[in-house]
Amino acid sequence: MSQPILRCRRSGAALLRAAAAAVVLAGAVATQGISQNLAEDGALPPDIGSEEPSFTPLPATSLNFYGSPGGIDMPSAEMLPDGTFATTLSGFGGQNRITLTFQATPWMSGSFRYHQMRNLNLFGFKTYYDRSFDVRFRLWREGRYRPQVALGLQDFSGTGLFGAEYIVASKSFRTPAWGGLARDGGRLMLTGGVGWGRLGSYNSIGSLGRRPTYSGATSRGGEPSYDQWFRGPYALFGGLEWRPNDKLGLKLEYSSDTYVTETQTTSSFTRRSPFNFGVEYQWKPATRLGAYYLYGSEIGLSAQIQLNPRHPVTRLAVPAPYPVQPREQWAGPPESWDTAWVDSGETLQGLRARLAETLKRDGLVLESLEVGAETAELRYRNPRYTAQAAAVGRAARALAATMPASVETFRLVPVSDGMALSAVILRRSDLEALEFDPRSSAALLAVAGFADAAGKPGPTAMAGPGLYPDFSWSVVQYASPSYFDPSLPFRLDLGVDLRATYRPAPGWRISGKLRQRVWGNIKDGRLSNSVLAHVRTDATLYAQEATTLENLYVARQWRPGRNLYARLSLGYFEAMYGGLSGEILWKPVGSRLGLGLEGNYVIQRDYDQRFGFQDYDVFTGHASAYLDLGKGYAAQVDVGRYLAGDVGATFSIDRTFANGWSFGGFFSQTNVSAADFGEGSFDKGLRFRIPLSSLLGKPSRAGLGLVIRPVQRDGGQRVHVPGRLYDQVREAHRSGLEAEWARVWE
Amino acid sequence: MGEGLGMSRNRLLRRLAGLGAAALLALAGCSRGTDAPPTQLQLLNAARGSVGQIARKARGTAAPTRPPLTRAALDTVTVPVLEVTVERRDDWAFLFRTLERSDSSPGRIEQWNTEDSNVTLSLRNGVLIATRGLGGDLLSSAVQVVDGQPGPASGGEHLQMIRNLDYRETALTLSCELVDLGPETIEIVERRHATHHLQQRCEGGGGRVVNDYWTDPRAGIIWKSRQWAGPHLGYLSLRRLVK
Repeated sequence: MSQPILRCRRSGAALLRAAAAAVVLAGAVATQGISQNLAEDGALPPDIGSEEPSFTPLPATSLNFYGSPGGIDMPSAEMLPDGTFATTLSGFGGQNRITLTFQATPWMSGSFRYHQMRNLNLFGFKTYYDRSFDVRFRLWREGRYRPQVALGLQDFSGTGLFGAEYIVASKSFRTPAWGGLARDGGRLMLTGGVGWGRLGSYNSIGSLGRRPTYSGATSRGGEPSYDQWFRGPYALFGGLEWRPNDKLGLKLEYSSDTYVTETQTTSSFTRRSPFNFGVEYQWKPATRLGAYYLYGSEIGLSAQIQLNPRHPVTRLAVPAPYPVQPREQWAGPPESWDTAWVDSGETLQGLRARLAETLKRDGLVLESLEVGAETAELRYRNPRYTAQAAAVGRAARALAATMPASVETFRLVPVSDGMALSAVILRRSDLEALEFDPRSSAALLAVAGFADAAGKPGPTAMAGPGLYPDFSWSVVQYASPSYFDPSLPFRLDLGVDLRATYRPAPGWRISGKLRQRVWGNIKDGRLSNSVLAHVRTDATLYAQEATTLENLYVARQWRPGRNLYARLSLGYFEAMYGGLSGEILWKPVGSRLGLGLEGNYVIQRDYDQRFGFQDYDVFTGHASAYLDLGKGYAAQVDVGRYLAGDVGATFSIDRTFANGWSFGGFFSQTNVSAADFGEGSFDKGLRFRIPLSSLLGKPSRAGLGLVIRPVQRDGGQRVHVPGRLYDQVREAHRSGLEAEWARVWE
Repeated sequence: MGEGLGMSRNRLLRRLAGLGAAALLALAGCSRGTDAPPTQLQLLNAARGSVGQIARKARGTAAPTRPPLTRAALDTVTVPVLEVTVERRDDWAFLFRTLERSDSSPGRIEQWNTEDSNVTLSLRNGVLIATRGLGGDLLSSAVQVVDGQPGPASGGEHLQMIRNLDYRETALTLSCELVDLGPETIEIVERRHATHHLQQRCEGGGGRVVNDYWTDPRAGIIWKSRQWAGPHLGYLSLRRLVK
């Protein structure tokens, strides 16, 4: 028995991470259903001045200075509404924090924080910047008499400067409303908890072992500091919040943080009292502002911005589709439907032209059409709709509006750069019968077929009129940010991109992007101190030239066989690398699992990003497994060789909402030691994407995305090859289509 | 001196170049071809659009007012016209009938479109069953109607499938009772109609909904109604201007 325990201890960090991931996965699947059911019975109080059922969320849970639900500087046991992205800006006594929090599941949230401490004069920095991650778990929900209880790890990796652990309970009570409109009445929240680390530093009531101290001089940070968790002195904290109406909140708390480093080691501010007071106001539905008096000496301010993918700021309105007119109305009884038109080439071309025109109104591009007396196979591109299901519905309606009456079966094949993604099979009589069905979406899903599409259109297929060779170009401004340089945390380049794409035939693509910087300060950033090959950390050197060739490549993608997708690319893939890349993906249309293999030979490009190369080249590639966990959760594991020649694996998990909002995180473990890796110890980060359609209210496939790495180093880095297969394929497969199926009749 | 002048000229040139570049950044943005415009361009176009809207508002040319309707003008129209008002937005439109059909459920389906076909309403025996193009639309509904009788035929379950703002579909079940408020004469643009006022009082989803129908059972028509189209759209007022 002792052997496994020893093994556990040795790889404790990895195990903890794996356990956390497992908990996330299991819980995600188990509890997601409950919250959705709660949302779906629509049992929210009606809007002010109305009796109508409402889906408008109640005013948001308020956040503390660390961007977690709570009082002022102390946490509470509340959770944000599932899926919320919150940004909190807060400041007092030279402590400025910006925190991004994501409520990943109803019972777990994660935060990333950037912290600025002015006049700290420690560790060789006058102003000290720190990045930290938090994670919070709800242990149990509030009951009628039972409080809600949560456990939190604050700054659980990184430098540990803000390290704290806590178990906290909160109970809410109804109170009369006062001073304004309250949809759900007044509410009083009482919170009490016990904290370790920072939260155990004032008036501690006991101690659990010894907490290893943080050393700013030696710690590289980045690894979970599990040896510190729940160790050392612990203390009690508590607070109350009264929300007499939907706008106003009054807060009072007792803080158990003495701010040793800030007030005793240096003197950023003076701490005179453990009591903090605050008043908050809901300024906009998504924005809450607060003013506070902290520690008997300081004035503080905060702004809490909460966005929920379920309730985007702008609602999407898409022009109404064509109705499906039953054939009996215009073609008489089925016995009279003739099929002689099949032999007329002229008729067929006329059909193709009419269909292409009809699709164009809905933003779809006809790639090919094959019509027989009873079936039609339409291959089309969807440059407009986030939801492939929306494109499927529009394409089906377009076929119903243009095809002769005898055509009964529609095969709809979405195509991405010449590659057929899947085939959705719909019977025309089902479309006619179900358009006004009480549950039209579910009814159509029940009779829709999903299948693998043939690699190429059939022999009698007609190509889209005048489509190939196909040339697209654009000139547009760009903004390229760079984060977390200790001397200037936010840097930016601005300029103009010229892009052009030429498609000589289906499946072929020649694409390039030329960039002209107009203004920028990324070029003044810090230089790399990496002991590995500088595969990613020379960004400053790459930013020296104003005119650069971002990419220029030839790519071919095709279907080598059933359930198989392939890509071959040659050229300059990205600012730093060029070479040859090949990828193959196995993904059956109805399967939740996909397996991929990618191999690249790449050479590092010259800093000026013209056509030259440096003398660093590497074979890099990965075997990947993609698993759709359902309910919008997806996991991915990539095992292989990275740019610096290091070998290891990357684990990632993402949550995507039906409207395209997504949020995820990843980390890589490779055979580079933490010491060689440098600051942060191993590669990790968060990523999110907000679709433009939910910001603009118009259909669009574009989105604003960001990958945030607390530190960009050289270990665990991959080459960015344009046009990776899985993302093109996933959303057109069964589970992707089903997730957005409510849009099929839209 | 000359050197100093040279320097200031250089500085001037640099400043001019900077201004030119800024102008370029503000104006740049166009695309051609079958690909969707890049993200930044879509954002830029949206920004241009909203700047235009703000400018129009500032010039006081926003929001066309509802034209005064007269029966004389309506008499020249030979096709059926339905007027719809989205009460919450104070937005209105004239709709034209584009589809009449039936399916396996009781009742006659009519689809009404705006002139540009961007918005459609679907009614089953005059009871709203679907909207399209408004955002947060009513995707489909189960309603209690019987053939040949305009308006709801009885109380009971009224199911609405709502397309939520995250594109998911949410079922909202209302339980309704139907109240006959008796005969009522209403006036629609200088013309009086003898109608029967039916009121559907529903509860569900944590709230209450009241739908009103002024029907003419003999003509098989609903002259006027006020119907709830789900939590995102609220009440719609419908008036049949031309039979």
